[in-house]
Amino acid sequence: MTDELQHPRDSVTPNDPQPDPSPDPERKVRSVGERLPLIDGPDKVTGRAKYAGDLAQDALVGRILHGRYSHAEIVSIDTTEAAALPGVVCVLTGEDTTQPYGILPIAMLEYPLANGRVRYRGEPVAAVAAIDAATAAKAISLIKVEYNELPAYYTAEEARAPDAVQLHESRAGNQERDVHFELGDTEAEFANSDLVVEESYQCAEVNQVHMEPNAAVAEFDPIRQHLTIWPSTQVPFYGHLIFARCLGLEKGQVRVIKPFVGGGFGARTETLHHEVICAHLAKATGSTVRLTTSREETFITHRGRPETQVNLKMGMNKDGKLTGLASEVVQRGGGYPSYGIVTILYAGTLMYGIYDIPAVKYDGYRILTNTPPCGAFRGHGTVNVRFAIENLMDRMSEELGLDPFEVRRKNLLVTPTYTANDIMVNSYGLPECLDWVQKESNWDERIKNLAPNKGLGMACAHYVSGAAKPVHWTGEPHAVVNLKLDFDGAITALTGAADIGQGSSTMVVQCVAETLNLDASQIKLMANDSDHTPKDNGSYSSRVTYMVGNAALDAARSMRQILAEAAATLLDAKSEDIEFDGTLFRVAGSQDPGIEYMDVVVEALKDEGTITAKGTFSTPVSAQGGRKFRGSAVGPTMGFSYSAEVVEITVDPDTSQVTVDNIWIAHDLGFALNPLSCEGQIQGSAWMGMGQALSEETRYHNGLLISGNMLDYRVPTMVESPPMDIKMVESIDPNGPYGAKEAGEGSLPSFIPALANAVRMATGVRMTETPITPDRLHEARARYEREQANNVAAE
Amino acid sequence: MEVLPEFKLHRPGTLAEALKIRGSLDEARYISGGTDLLANIRRGLTPTENLIELSGLSELQRFEADADGLHIGAAVTLATIGNDPAIKQDYAVLAEAANAVAGATHRAVATIGGNLCLDTRCLFYNQSQWWRDSNDGCMKYEGEICHVVPTSKRCYAAYSGDTAPALLVLNAEIEIAGPDGSRRVPLDDLFNDDGIDYLTLAPGEMVTMVHLPAASKSKTASSYTKLRIRDSIDFPLAGVAVRVTQENGKVTALDAAVTGTNSTPIRVTGCDAFVGLEFDEEQGQKFAKLVQKQTSPVQTTTTKPQYRRRAVTAMSKTLTQNLLQALSA
Amino acid sequence: MNSVLQMTVNGRPRADVVADNMLLVDYLREVCGLTGTKIGCDGGECGACTILADGGARLSCLTLAHSCAGQVIETVEGQATRGELSAVQSSFHEKLGSQCGYCTPGMIMTSESLLRTNTNPTEDEIREALGGNICRCTGYIKIIESVQAAAEIINASREAAE
Repeated sequence: MTDELQHPRDSVTPNDPQPDPSPDPERKVRSVGERLPLIDGPDKVTGRAKYAGDLAQDALVGRILHGRYSHAEIVSIDTTEAAALPGVVCVLTGEDTTQPYGILPIAMLEYPLANGRVRYRGEPVAAVAAIDAATAAKAISLIKVEYNELPAYYTAEEARAPDAVQLHESRAGNQERDVHFELGDTEAEFANSDLVVEESYQCAEVNQVHMEPNAAVAEFDPIRQHLTIWPSTQVPFYGHLIFARCLGLEKGQVRVIKPFVGGGFGARTETLHHEVICAHLAKATGSTVRLTTSREETFITHRGRPETQVNLKMGMNKDGKLTGLASEVVQRGGGYPSYGIVTILYAGTLMYGIYDIPAVKYDGYRILTNTPPCGAFRGHGTVNVRFAIENLMDRMSEELGLDPFEVRRKNLLVTPTYTANDIMVNSYGLPECLDWVQKESNWDERIKNLAPNKGLGMACAHYVSGAAKPVHWTGEPHAVVNLKLDFDGAITALTGAADIGQGSSTMVVQCVAETLNLDASQIKLMANDSDHTPKDNGSYSSRVTYMVGNAALDAARSMRQILAEAAATLLDAKSEDIEFDGTLFRVAGSQDPGIEYMDVVVEALKDEGTITAKGTFSTPVSAQGGRKFRGSAVGPTMGFSYSAEVVEITVDPDTSQVTVDNIWIAHDLGFALNPLSCEGQIQGSAWMGMGQALSEETRYHNGLLISGNMLDYRVPTMVESPPMDIKMVESIDPNGPYGAKEAGEGSLPSFIPALANAVRMATGVRMTETPITPDRLHEARARYEREQANNVAAE
Repeated sequence: MEVLPEFKLHRPGTLAEALKIRGSLDEARYISGGTDLLANIRRGLTPTENLIELSGLSELQRFEADADGLHIGAAVTLATIGNDPAIKQDYAVLAEAANAVAGATHRAVATIGGNLCLDTRCLFYNQSQWWRDSNDGCMKYEGEICHVVPTSKRCYAAYSGDTAPALLVLNAEIEIAGPDGSRRVPLDDLFNDDGIDYLTLAPGEMVTMVHLPAASKSKTASSYTKLRIRDSIDFPLAGVAVRVTQENGKVTALDAAVTGTNSTPIRVTGCDAFVGLEFDEEQGQKFAKLVQKQTSPVQTTTTKPQYRRRAVTAMSKTLTQNLLQALSA
Repeated sequence: MNSVLQMTVNGRPRADVVADNMLLVDYLREVCGLTGTKIGCDGGECGACTILADGGARLSCLTLAHSCAGQVIETVEGQATRGELSAVQSSFHEKLGSQCGYCTPGMIMTSESLLRTNTNPTEDEIREALGGNICRCTGYIKIIESVQAAAEIINASREAAE
């Protein structure tokens, strides 16, 4: 597989013609490029689909006691009364869950139940398993915890103060990680720039609000000492490692089955405490335990996008060419590391890969605070920095009297290329994205004829198609897919890719069917049962289509070869001369009547029995980035998606409420393996960007989450959600499966600055904060109008 | 599974039976649509050992017009009111306010009586038991201090019903029934400016009926505007109802009422000053000032109170201007 | 306080001993085993638990089971008949009105309720009717398209029948 890949450094020059991997349009059977409904859709629309909380209704009920202080030592926990309550089967505290865990091997500081200290309000302190929910709730209320309060820090600034108490012994200055690099000489570039502007941006913390509250069911067999667990997760494999580690089991004593999962958007790209607690309860009771959590508990478990301050300095010449970019990013990470190191690295490295910028400097600080831990959220790492950059580009374009589209065009990369931080950029559909949204939105005309209180804004973004280096470096391929062919002729694809609603199972089926020239309905799929399916790292950083899709192609090619050889035997021909039209195998170009598929299967199974064909995908070293600075392994990818958006808004003059009237999005996804599903991803991500741009934010009162419900955390409703015009730009990535790359994240980050830029046009105010809630905008407008009046007075 | 506190559900068939059950109990709460009460009970708020369900009482389902006006039983749903052609025609402000409540599925069961008696709301009150315990409760429930105004001796939880201001500008009267008989009072008398004791109902009393005076013969226009972040589900950050009549370009009557800003719905006083005047920009400003002076939101929502006050002021003026413009057209 | 509760669920008459304080959603999920009805929030904030009671959309998380005594309850599991998806179900599948699927049962039941009273809803009417149902995956566009497609199917089959 690896040797088929193409990389700009070793095989491609800009003028090389790219091979055309698009499927043959003449074919009878087509699977990729078709608007195929999801293969598990019927389960979802009939209620048959079982999510974790739907399983084992007769199991013991697990429940968690959450700490009530932001930062405190646990002096004592008295569980006597709770344990004595009839119907209570077990009560656990931190003394029973002594193995720490964490998604990053270098940052395992979290305990399933607090280990002597709580670091955010709501951290799990104890847990019970009881015969029913009422008993479990009663037991929780009987547990007495004595605390010794410690100073608590709710902002990065407080936590960074020189005299601040350290949250974790190993984290001096409450800093999870600082990142610094400078490639090129930014100060020299600024000195020679026509315009240099500095600005600060503040983005509120946001939460994923996946619709399914966190849940898990765990079953422990005390005889075999074996755990089976059904967690609501995007990363069953990482869970597997953590369950074994925390419960003191061998990995072989654990089976992880991912049930249907009600979304994730990054919150579930790490194993969360409710899963580990549920596993512990199952082991302690030697039984099956179901642990469902409330919406509030799910909010407090968090792992959302951190509150972020971005200080930017950017240089631009009169022609719009960017000269240099210096960014300082401070993230309020919460009480535990989670993905923090990766987030703060992405925030720096993803300044690259979209525009050509001669000099870039980055200083990133990930800070530990007494708030719920932040994690990976759709558009991981890039969103708030992209908001700042595109916002400032718009401002500078305006100050220089330039068209914002022309400024973007002036800074396009020449691809294929490597960026200064050694990130490979192959397919690059950004120019086409820009052209499409400008034309389709009728930007040039519309902007001239805007009614009062209306505004138009544009911005761009990009996102990775999986990290070229995995979180756990083991030397294994990034992805493995197995195909099983048996006596019935059915081909079953076995994959560990976690379908969380994004449609990865359907994608695997499509890739296999297309390669084998079978109808998608002829491919069965089994996913996410560690006893049966190959390991997969999980659904995060938009890695699945690219990596698992390629592994599926690889497996299908092997299977195709096996079938071709069997047909060749029957036809007394060479396997390379065999062709299959979806129904019959025959020698290419011949007039022979052909052999039925089932006859070829019978031949293939002769002496062999059940056939397994395996496919893998590994990223080549040339895609894995360089070593120019510490952490440079975060950011490199096989391919970037690109997005350009235009947003049209109306601002209510009385209330400063922003209504989004129209959105035009062009998203370069390489190739739309499933246009229906890809549209859904693009619509969903832009809309989620709208939530962050307009209404969503977490709010705390002394570390206590005020917005832990769906009234105060305002996910947009159908009523105010806008229509969208979408263009899927197909740049055909040379290494993606049929040319495909990322589709589900890149259109989130572009929305937010596009909206802010539209607000500027509508009101004159350039918002540097998100979300742009009516009260924030109202205040900013009042300030702006005062300044305007003062300016007039001064003149 | 959600663990609700234990209670007995009573399902009387008549009003008399409901009152009799209530009379036999030391403590009970009436429940109708349940969209507010059950959400609160689920959070450990408004505890009770007895729920008396009113949605089955035919007396409270009465919905008819006669020469005296329109009579709406307290258990008539907001969906029925919001979709009723006659209400849309003659009492537009009420239909608009009813349709502005929560989402359509809530409105299918939520009742006018329930919406009038909606519990006051606050960031520090509408939280889970764990949350409130972690914050030592609040003055309104299981605590001492008001976290919004810590020096205060009273609770500032905000009255958040959408239909009250609409009914106030329509000069509605309500009928109240209780163990000691029934009475009919102006709607204004139902409310009390206190986040805890926000209703004047005596123990065991319930609102049974809303009476609206017959639709005005003169050229009247009325409307409700709601300040909210999302266009569905959200409670009002503020809401304003206005009813105006106009002859020959001069205001002949003007009523305004505001919700969401105080612990009680506010009937804006001083509107008589505009009668006989042309509602020009200057009068509009004066009217806005009136609204501003009489509304005093505090930090009961995540949205800033200063903003809510400014916005409701501006909205009131625009709404009135738009209504008058429509009348002129 | 427990007592016998009688109602019809998905066409089947039932009689169960149910506590007064049991929510309808918990009754459906835990007593009837109908886990298609979902819980997405802590009470009335997301619409995932929407079912039909006597044909009307109801939030089963803000409804006591006993309040529905004698009523006809329908859940998403009862929508497909004789192996055929309902018009709403097949449209949500075909048009990708469902991604992760968790809001889907509530969306389907709310849509069903709308289309039983209004087979030609405007886009605004669809938005308003489904305004209390939160979806986090789709941005709602394909949900609206699904409801429109279902309306077309329903109208076409009516015309065919006439």
